[in-house]
Amino acid sequence: MDDARITELALRARDGHRDAAGEFVAATQQQVWRLLVHLADAAVAEELAQETYERALGSLRRYRGEAPARNWLLSIARRVAADHLRRRARRPVSPAEPAEDDRPVGRAPRPDPAESVAVRDALDALDGDRREAFVLTQVVGLSYEEAAAVCGCPIGTIRSRVARARADLVDALSEPPAAERPPRSG
Amino acid sequence: MTGNHTIPGDDQHGMDCDRCREAMSAALDGESDAAEQARVDAHLDGCAACRAWRRDAETVTRRARTGVAEPGPDLVALVLDAAPGPRARWRGTAARAGLAVVGAVQAVLGLTSLLGASMQHDAMADSIVVLGAGMAHATHESAAWNLALGVAFLAGALWTRHLAGLLPALGAFIAVLAVLSGIDLLAGRVEPARVVSHVVLVVGFVLGIAVVRAAPRSGPAPTPGGRWWARGEGPVAPHGAPAPDAARWERESDVA
Repeated sequence: MDDARITELALRARDGHRDAAGEFVAATQQQVWRLLVHLADAAVAEELAQETYERALGSLRRYRGEAPARNWLLSIARRVAADHLRRRARRPVSPAEPAEDDRPVGRAPRPDPAESVAVRDALDALDGDRREAFVLTQVVGLSYEEAAAVCGCPIGTIRSRVARARADLVDALSEPPAAERPPRSG
Repeated sequence: MTGNHTIPGDDQHGMDCDRCREAMSAALDGESDAAEQARVDAHLDGCAACRAWRRDAETVTRRARTGVAEPGPDLVALVLDAAPGPRARWRGTAARAGLAVVGAVQAVLGLTSLLGASMQHDAMADSIVVLGAGMAHATHESAAWNLALGVAFLAGALWTRHLAGLLPALGAFIAVLAVLSGIDLLAGRVEPARVVSHVVLVVGFVLGIAVVRAAPRSGPAPTPGGRWWARGEGPVAPHGAPAPDAARWERESDVA
């Protein structure tokens, strides 16, 4: 669904059309989910996605349609994730996160193929800014320009962060017999 | 841009490995720079490590894009309660309609006092003159002001965008009028019915606030800050009068 349509849905939702609000959530929730899985982790992504939509829908009355609604929503999701990480950092470290429901504590809510685990581990190991730029552009599927708008930084910053994230992933994911690989220069 | 001399051997192609890889990374995302591409190709001709890196980066990108695409939960039912309810839909419309009615009433009150003043003013001798205005002129002035407020309410109901600008002046007017009306009522200088007619202003003020709050997005407006553009012809010289139907208002905020 294109940005103009999503923005239109947000504006209609703001004017009290619940069906438009539902469509807006349905059209954007996979991207919000993917972003949050990677910026925080899958165990809390659902909770954070819910918080994102509650914040976004609750503040729709102040949304003026000046920025595309998807970018606006993703920047809210980004703030929700940052708030979560800050809260978690402030809490004393506990040996295991208490599970509040019956979902197993861990990265993924459902069994994951090994491939996916390896990629996710490599992504999780990235530096925060690089991971954010990489996830926004590769997993969420934004252009560099849109990612820059969501992060509030120049396009060139996104470009170099994505490249560095890629380089880190190449190092982490390329086949194990490292001795055979040409040494990374540059 | 012509090489990084801290890495000997790489700069003779006009680009070092880091820059080359950043450019290749952007190209993988369809964000490449045509001017840069030639230097990337030149660098790749002489750099086996970067050629290997590109293959690896392509693979890694494909894995990252496809390997993590597990679907998330459906949240629609969970979060919909946070959305503005159907009340938001008619709140703004109702407030605008109410404001239009109040504007019409206020305009009729203004017209009535204007006519009343005109009819009485022949019979009335201007025995009192305050600050250069006789009774008749003071009445005219007040009637004109009341009529103008009615028009302002009507215009605000139509062009909500400019309503917010009216509210401070109106608020000050109501506050001063309330104090003076109280004093005049106590002193017996005004009939209660006349004071009651001021309530229309208060209602208009409250509805005005409701309209402004219900429509945070720019509503319709006659756009004094806009420029007059001829369609497809760019800016028109101030003296060049374009035909009205061939021109449109364009706001700076819309252009940006």
